[in-house]
Amino acid sequence: MAKKPIIQFNHVMKQFDDDAPVLDHVSFEIEKGKFYTLLGPSGCGKTTILRLIAGFTEATSGDILFEGKKINHVPANKRPINTVFQDYALFPHLNVYENVAFGLRIKKVKKADMDAKVKEALSFVNLKGYENREITDMSGGQKQRVAIARAIVNEPAIILLDEPLSALDLKLRYQMQYELRELQRRLGITFIFVTHDQEEALAMSDEIFVLNKGKIQQSGTPNDIYDEPINRFVADFIGESNIIRATMIQDFLVEFAGKQFECVDQGMDPNEAVEIVIRPEDMEITSVEQGSIRVTVQAQLFRGVHYEITCMDDTGNEWLVQSTKKATIGEEIGLRFTPEDIHVMRLNESEEDFDRRLDAYSEDENDAK
Amino acid sequence: MQNKTFRNLFMLPYALWIIIFVIAPILLVVYFSFFDINGNFSLTNYKNFFTATYLQMTLNSFWYAFLITVISLLIAYPTAYILTRTKHKQLWLLLIIVPSWINLLLKAYAFIGIFGTHGAANRFLEWAGIGSRQLLFTDFSFVFVAVYIFIPFMILPIFNALDKLNPSLLYAASDLGASKWTTFRRVIFPLTLDGVKSGCQVVFIPALSLFMLTRLIAGNRVITLGTAIEQQFLVTQNWGMGATIAVFLIIIMVGFMALTSIRRRGV
Repeated sequence: MAKKPIIQFNHVMKQFDDDAPVLDHVSFEIEKGKFYTLLGPSGCGKTTILRLIAGFTEATSGDILFEGKKINHVPANKRPINTVFQDYALFPHLNVYENVAFGLRIKKVKKADMDAKVKEALSFVNLKGYENREITDMSGGQKQRVAIARAIVNEPAIILLDEPLSALDLKLRYQMQYELRELQRRLGITFIFVTHDQEEALAMSDEIFVLNKGKIQQSGTPNDIYDEPINRFVADFIGESNIIRATMIQDFLVEFAGKQFECVDQGMDPNEAVEIVIRPEDMEITSVEQGSIRVTVQAQLFRGVHYEITCMDDTGNEWLVQSTKKATIGEEIGLRFTPEDIHVMRLNESEEDFDRRLDAYSEDENDAK
Repeated sequence: MQNKTFRNLFMLPYALWIIIFVIAPILLVVYFSFFDINGNFSLTNYKNFFTATYLQMTLNSFWYAFLITVISLLIAYPTAYILTRTKHKQLWLLLIIVPSWINLLLKAYAFIGIFGTHGAANRFLEWAGIGSRQLLFTDFSFVFVAVYIFIPFMILPIFNALDKLNPSLLYAASDLGASKWTTFRRVIFPLTLDGVKSGCQVVFIPALSLFMLTRLIAGNRVITLGTAIEQQFLVTQNWGMGATIAVFLIIIMVGFMALTSIRRRGV
């Protein structure tokens, strides 16, 4: 039995005037103590979800529940939820100590307790001894830490992070990814993290919600989403993908690029039009004879860790391959992949249907045993 | 080096302007303040300034300028706040600024009409059943008209400060548990204090030396330092005494500027 959700959205709609809805009947549950990521391109509604949870905006329809109680109309200052803002939103007229102590002062915490708590929060984010610094004298990364300390010091039930790392340079961003993840584990507070960076999402989350056009496309662990994308959007958005039109001949047999391949998917109609995904790193460059398909090398880029090779097969599909081996442009090569590397996606399948189909064949497997 | 001489060359017109129109007049005023009515060098003017009459006048000036500034601020701050929240804020702001383009004297005469015995204000009071009363030549009408004239200058800097305020700071305050009032007290007001200060400067300093309004609207019942200077120069022809009062006025203004210009940390 799953734990009681700390946040629950029931068919939440958000619409401004007569525009297309920003959120379109979104429902999900968030469990206590996990690291969640809302992932999607800009304008997908991820920040709107965050603002709804924080209480900065109200839903047009639908219910938002906190620990089972409806909180649609509870103002932001009455919710045990704190936010780390994209632009940090630190108070420029206050120093580091006063910024962190802001929430405690409002709660009228005693001076000695406040000192101890601020100190602890600052040491959590590795800013011990910075109490009397002015905000204007801090670097971007330090401001980021102050913003996190200001949120955790209030011991909220949930911390919302709105693309907090997007303003940092690459190296600092990687470092902060580790630190945030570590912080979440130590504190055990539920984190809801918003980002458009799929790598960040994969690296940090317990669970990811992939959003597009105001709808949750898919939710699941980073592995689930990477390995079993539900549709073209998710496959394309998360990592590099080769997405090829195909026909499902029967269970475990799919046809594409003019050939039939064995696969591990089932539960579709015979001869159903589908799409298949093969990740560029799952394919291996071999000789034409040994390859699963034959392709011609079109272009090649050196990416440091690997070469990124673009190929074309006989039926005009483009294939992206990542390989540590160098290829020659214009050369004919073979690409080898196994049945497990092929992931079949039905067109327009909803998340419920997708899950049901997956469940159905894991039951089949159990029956077989 | 070349660059530096070049830059100095460009500075020349400004330096000349400042010398001719700012420094020289101040020096002249200081120079005149050391001559009594008969043109003899003396310190009598300064001695006279520290008599009850002039000290009372200084106090009066202060009191009215203070009153005008505070009332302007109390009206201007909420107005500016509401303005920043309206849809066509620049248009509304323009409408508030436009009256300040009209000549001060014209506005003063208009108010004489409105506040006169048979003016619109009294007619309204009669209609409301309160009955007509003396409005012109009272403290009330003086402060009222002065506030009316100065208010756009108070609204403008406060509006700019409020408009510049990062809205996510307000969300952050609310997120951290602050009510609307606490947010105002702890975040909005401290961060717009610079606007308030410059608003106070541009209202308080001219209000200190108002003279035309004191005559036209307050009927010379209110005598401020500005009125005194005008009288000394034009009526009594005692340029020395007028200059002395001006010296003190300048000192007070510089003091007020210094007091309100202390920059706070981090802003």
